[in-house]
Amino acid sequence: MRTLRLHRELYRGEAIDAAAKIYASYAQIALVEEPAYWVVNVTASSPARELRVARELANQALGLTVRDR
Amino acid sequence: MTEAVPSLPPEIAAIDLADTSIALSIDATTYGLEALQAAGYTFLDRAYVILDRPSPERYRVTLAPKKSEGELRAQLTRLAGEFANELLAAAYRQRLQHENRALIESVTMRTVAGAMGPAEAAPSLEELEAFDFSAEAFEDPLGIAMSWEEKYGKKSPPSAGEPPPSTSSDGEEGPR
Repeated sequence: MRTLRLHRELYRGEAIDAAAKIYASYAQIALVEEPAYWVVNVTASSPARELRVARELANQALGLTVRDR
Repeated sequence: MTEAVPSLPPEIAAIDLADTSIALSIDATTYGLEALQAAGYTFLDRAYVILDRPSPERYRVTLAPKKSEGELRAQLTRLAGEFANELLAAAYRQRLQHENRALIESVTMRTVAGAMGPAEAAPSLEELEAFDFSAEAFEDPLGIAMSWEEKYGKKSPPSAGEPPPSTSSDGEEGPR
């Protein structure tokens, strides 16, 4: 499992939700809320795939955050 | 396992070869959040970008190239340098935007207000309601607004008792 920690001050929650939906078909994605972070757990068939999906998801979340700022 | 970038202090930039990424520590008091996000946004097409805020005074940016181009250390160092340049440009753009905000708003307001026209020109609803739309729009002594049929069309035969229509002095009766 690959864990992505995205700071709440830097990423919008709606953007992370939307990004998680986009990549839900590529890996199993679980969202957990912490006081300062959105935590995204990515589980896929291989570590390489988990890393790729996690990174793509983070890019998507940043893009949506900036676009809807 | 991380290693320092030769040209930069280790607390500013660190390369993680196993993760194929470079992490930059950014002073949050020098660069604003909007500038950081704007700079990250411009790198989304060529790198994986993850922003973090480990402390109130620092941001951390982790960059991983999407495509391998030559030696990894050199590529990561180049990527970090380009990001730093973009961050500086974004911060400067933000500063200009904030400084010129009042001027831009003033010019935009005047432009929109000018396009709307003076307030007295538009009649009120009461004035429109009282307006007589049945009146003639304007006088037309030369018959300019008449249709071709009205002006030159065949006249209906005069009824008994009416004089025949007179012709003009040059005998012209209009086009045939």
